[in-house]
Amino acid sequence: MVMDYLSTIREFVVENFLFGDGNRLSVDTSFIENGIVDSTGILELVAFLEETYGIVVEDEEIIPENLDSIQNITFFLEKKLPLTTSL
Amino acid sequence: MRPVDWLEKHRRKLFEVIEKNKSQSAYDVIVSYSGGKDSSYTLKLLKQNYGLTILAVTFDHGFMSYQALRNSQTVTRSLNVDHLIIRPAEEKMRRAFVKSMRLDLYSRKALEKASSICLSCMHMIKSLMLKCAIEMRIPLIAYGWSPGQVSPRSAVVPLNAPLIREMQKSVVKILDLLLGKDLRAFVPNEKLFDMFYEKEGRDEGGSLFSVHPLAVVEYNEEHVLNEIADLGWEAPGDTDPNSSNCLLNSFANWVHIDRYGFHPYAYEIAGLVREGWLDRERGLEKLAVPAKDEIVELVGRKLGINP
Repeated sequence: MVMDYLSTIREFVVENFLFGDGNRLSVDTSFIENGIVDSTGILELVAFLEETYGIVVEDEEIIPENLDSIQNITFFLEKKLPLTTSL
Repeated sequence: MRPVDWLEKHRRKLFEVIEKNKSQSAYDVIVSYSGGKDSSYTLKLLKQNYGLTILAVTFDHGFMSYQALRNSQTVTRSLNVDHLIIRPAEEKMRRAFVKSMRLDLYSRKALEKASSICLSCMHMIKSLMLKCAIEMRIPLIAYGWSPGQVSPRSAVVPLNAPLIREMQKSVVKILDLLLGKDLRAFVPNEKLFDMFYEKEGRDEGGSLFSVHPLAVVEYNEEHVLNEIADLGWEAPGDTDPNSSNCLLNSFANWVHIDRYGFHPYAYEIAGLVREGWLDRERGLEKLAVPAKDEIVELVGRKLGINP
């Protein structure tokens, strides 16, 4: 499951924010620090997660700890999905 | 074009955030106001459609079109809006823009969307807006970005403390290179930043928001021009077709095309065409018109560079 998240998220980021060039994107590359995603891009990412995984990301969850790298998003989804699916 | 209900969903979210944050402070919203057509229209929407108490802030970097500066004053007077002009010393801005050209500051991805000079200017403006909002305790920061620059789903961006802290780190790194010791005039005071977020429990939900009203309107350039003409706005004759306020833009585009081989507005215009807000022919026209030689030379002289 984790590998699925990793590749799906990576694909989205490479396609939408790196114009197909993912050479220097590793799982722990900070999107913000490297100028990959800005404050408006963060919401594009949030919308993608909501649509793909059927979750609702609250405003207070829009923080670097949850969204600032492929790895952070994966951890966030792992926390978020069991709660969502059990509802 | 996106379905109307999709646009409506984001329009509703913008309305809700605005309503929730009204009358919390001396000003409801601080508007980054360039005097250009889109920010003039944004000002009009926020005043007349949303009924907000506004502080319009114009960042005059020394290369504004004279007509744009006049427009900023005419429009704020017409709308009866408080207006603050921030005009840093010319030499300070000159150094920052020359460094923007010469240093390798931005990722390729960022440069797909704007020239290095524009990106530096946006970094300064965004940090200044944040500083003013935090230090004056204003809950909303508005920008006049067009639907090609920002998607409807980003019409409201919650700026909670952890997100802003992380984003400011990279902004400060760049501003430090551009401005050196003058950096402090552009970044929020740390103590006031902490007070803003912590004293009012904003760490939890983040009641500072960046809002982009044009992202949720059915954008039509002709309509925008007609609406602001009623406020006394007049098109400047000296800017390039992609800017209605900035002379530096022509020069920045010229440098960008020369260095990277593509127009820095291609991405934004493609977005407007794709979403159906701009006719393809008109979009190509905007990209095809070359910068005015006399403006490129004028800006180059002012920057001490021979184009």
